[in-house]
Amino acid sequence: MNEKSVVVNVFGLNFNVTNCLGGTLVAIAVFFLVWYLGRNVSLKPNKKQNLLEYMIDFTNGIVKDNVADVDAQKHLSLYAFTLFMFIFFMNQLGLFFEFSINDHILVKSPTANPLITMTMAMMTLLLSYNFGVQRFGAKGYFANYAKPVGFLLPINIIEEFTNFLTLSLRLYGNIYAGEVLLTLIGNRFAKSAGWFTVIASVPLTLIWQGFSVFIGSIQAYVFVTLSMVYIGKKVTEE
Amino acid sequence: MQFMFAALKLELGDTLYYLLIFAALLLLVKHFAWGPVTKMMEERRQKVISDLDQAESDRKKAELLANQREAALKDSKQEATQILSTAKSNAEKTKNNIISQADQEAAAIRKRASEDAAQAKTDALNEARDQVADISVAIAEKVISKNLSAADQKDLVDQFIKGLND
Repeated sequence: MNEKSVVVNVFGLNFNVTNCLGGTLVAIAVFFLVWYLGRNVSLKPNKKQNLLEYMIDFTNGIVKDNVADVDAQKHLSLYAFTLFMFIFFMNQLGLFFEFSINDHILVKSPTANPLITMTMAMMTLLLSYNFGVQRFGAKGYFANYAKPVGFLLPINIIEEFTNFLTLSLRLYGNIYAGEVLLTLIGNRFAKSAGWFTVIASVPLTLIWQGFSVFIGSIQAYVFVTLSMVYIGKKVTEE
Repeated sequence: MQFMFAALKLELGDTLYYLLIFAALLLLVKHFAWGPVTKMMEERRQKVISDLDQAESDRKKAELLANQREAALKDSKQEATQILSTAKSNAEKTKNNIISQADQEAAAIRKRASEDAAQAKTDALNEARDQVADISVAIAEKVISKNLSAADQKDLVDQFIKGLND
């Protein structure tokens, strides 16, 4: 994890090429996966369509469980599906694919970077404000901060920041820790004491990668679920 | 912490890039996979609903038809019984008619036969009487031919005939 990222400055903005490349790869992968699965849709589904419908039903279930408002559900299901696929594949990307040139890492899990998870969390929370204002109007939306009782106003405002931080840092922490341990096993432990540790590191890496796949899936699910919880809270009357 | 922030350098370009790429992914997924698939899922849902409704109405129709058929069957059974009983009574009547007719005919035949027999008897008696008269005359003639004259014979025969007429 101590490889340097490649950062370029364009128009005064810093672009981390590692993150951009990872995100682009994941977006392309997600797009081609769903495009391939949903290519020949028919009323009598084939196996590919069944898989895609299963995934759609899965994220639709998350939305339905956490957002009571039926109108908002319709708008959110596509967002939840894409968000889940995107984060899921970003989590898995670094587990099997790390690409670096001369100590400069080019491809790793983008979610192991707090800025990326914060971007995702920010997107979700901005969407929740948007839905809240749409539902209650600006006035009603701000009035909701003082509900159900007035003295909860500061707590509700602080909650916005904690929501943002917990949502983003939970994902970041899990994936980052996974990658740190993977690098530790692969680089430090394997090279520490000759051939014995090299051999011992193989099953350890295998086990930890498997566990990281599990963590990545759970974290994607948790992220989408919490996103829907936050949005759902904004569109329901307390 | 220092390591983290040092590595970060606050690359806000990434934020912008990710928002854009996510929006693009959202639109592409919607257009190429989400739209068609959810449309198809909704269509299937509607089809299932309409199929269920159709099945329900079909079932009702079939039930109605079965009831009708059962009623018709019962009716036809009754009709058959009626026809059978009518036929039976007709046959009985015809039988009785035939028997009585036969009886009558037999009686008529018997009557005619007895009449014929009586007639034949009478005819035979008459014939026999004539023949007996002739034969007796012939015998008597032969017996008394030598003793009687023709006039006596004539008297005798006339007397005999008179006696017959009485």
